[in-house]
Amino acid sequence: MSRALLSLRDIHHSFRGLHVLKGVALEVPTGAFVGLIGPNGAGKTTLFNIASGFLDPDVGGVFLDGTDLMKCSVQERSRRGLVRTFQTPQVFSAMSVLENLMIGRHKQTRSGIVGNLFRSPRSRREYQTAKQAAMAVLERFNLSPVAEHKAGNLPAGQQRMLELARAYVGEPRLLLLDEPSSGLNNDEIAQLRRVLNELNGEGVTILLVSHDMNLIEAAANIHVLCFGEIIAVGSMATLREDARVREAYLGL
Amino acid sequence: MPRAKLLPYVVAVVLWAALPGLVSRHVVDLLIFAGLYTIAGLGVSYLLGHCGIVCLAQSMFYGIGAYCVAYFSAQHALPSVVAFAAGALLSAAIAFAVGWPILRLSGHFLALATLALGVIAQVLFLEWDWLTGGTLGIGGLPKLQLFGWELNTPQRFYYLVWPVAVLVMWLKRNLTHSRNGLAMRAMRDAPAAAAVAGVEIHLVKVRMFVLSAILGSLAGSLFAHYVGFISVDSFGIDRSISFLLLAVLGGVQTTWGPALGALFVTLAPELLSRFGEIHAVLFAVTLVIAVIFLPQGLGGAIEQRLRRDSVR
Repeated sequence: MSRALLSLRDIHHSFRGLHVLKGVALEVPTGAFVGLIGPNGAGKTTLFNIASGFLDPDVGGVFLDGTDLMKCSVQERSRRGLVRTFQTPQVFSAMSVLENLMIGRHKQTRSGIVGNLFRSPRSRREYQTAKQAAMAVLERFNLSPVAEHKAGNLPAGQQRMLELARAYVGEPRLLLLDEPSSGLNNDEIAQLRRVLNELNGEGVTILLVSHDMNLIEAAANIHVLCFGEIIAVGSMATLREDARVREAYLGL
Repeated sequence: MPRAKLLPYVVAVVLWAALPGLVSRHVVDLLIFAGLYTIAGLGVSYLLGHCGIVCLAQSMFYGIGAYCVAYFSAQHALPSVVAFAAGALLSAAIAFAVGWPILRLSGHFLALATLALGVIAQVLFLEWDWLTGGTLGIGGLPKLQLFGWELNTPQRFYYLVWPVAVLVMWLKRNLTHSRNGLAMRAMRDAPAAAAVAGVEIHLVKVRMFVLSAILGSLAGSLFAHYVGFISVDSFGIDRSISFLLLAVLGGVQTTWGPALGALFVTLAPELLSRFGEIHAVLFAVTLVIAVIFLPQGLGGAIEQRLRRDSVR
């Protein structure tokens, strides 16, 4: 087994005395496709917020490729390759789909406001390369027909795809996907699964939170989070046989 | 660019150039104010439309620009470029120092903080009369010299202020279609996702606040040179509100909207004044109607219209 790209160590967190995470440890090996499931309120999104830097844990550590991320901002984590999506899709609603994707290249570019104001050669070059990078991924995520549409006017399924495409344009090492299939129909879920498998095949490490059994099955290894603790780890097949998981989550 | 497309621009420039000869001196005066307001209002417009920041502090920077002219050019007889630079630097420094903490706020709280800033500035302009002349003001400010050409008539000043305004609009347009322009609109629409994309939200906001302050100061310095007399009455909260008003009225999403908004807030009261006492009420009613029927502002409505026509 290759070494961990993302490592969450002994994470504790409380909201006003409510102990939401009780010493969660989770490792995502480089190149892996890992799933995270659990009943509502299990702490999945809190864990994501901690991993991506939106929330500081009471206790515990977050490491990316061995580097301690605790002092890193959301932006810094993103520059290091850790990119997340949100439970409710967060697209830049008043901007076009293409512009949304161009933002994905923000951290690969450097030009400053003064250069931008005066159209410096670098400013123009970066804008063009960002545009080309954005155009290059439109096709793959089925967004070509809506490239010039306002992102806020897209149906939920396409907003999900756009969010994923935007993350992908920025060449992430690790994708944290929070319920990417909610609001999608079966065809769209199948497409999403195919795209995720492709990205993983290209070397993008994925940590996926999902309620959707069709989608979560794509993950080789699945962690079950229940009331702030990881109660089981394994493939979908093993988890189905696990008595605690059946009781706590699958309700079988 | 094909000739047919170029034609409207040529006509506009010719009209613009001929205008001072066709209208009264008083109207030229108003057009100059519209130009000055465009420059200051562009900063406010960009903050609102692209960063989602309501700024009611622009009168402060407008005042700083003007008082720098009084202090450096009039009292110390230094070249006007010194006054312009000092105003811009001082405004930038204050905008940075104050913007850093208050731009952590957002929405109404931020708007109130900028309002407080404008109020404080107004009080200081009044109290520091050793510097500002208080309510009595400071007169005898020198006319602006440009390459040995004295801008001592409204007509001459008109030919300076509008090219400056157009230059600022060009800069705004460049910024909109750039890396940071995209980043700003992104953080306005979905701050969390913009942060994940690597946009340093707070830093970008502070920088834009500084840029807007520099524009306010530039307009203020030009204003002082033009009128030759300044007093605290010109730098009150009502001026900040005019800047915000013209931004909203012109349409914060368009490049040249603030110019339309500025023409409206300077010319409309004048046109309505022939109706006598009631003109203030008429102006208010006009504003309400404009806001209800043109939510995208004058500029936004016109751009929408043009786009629809070009699709046909």
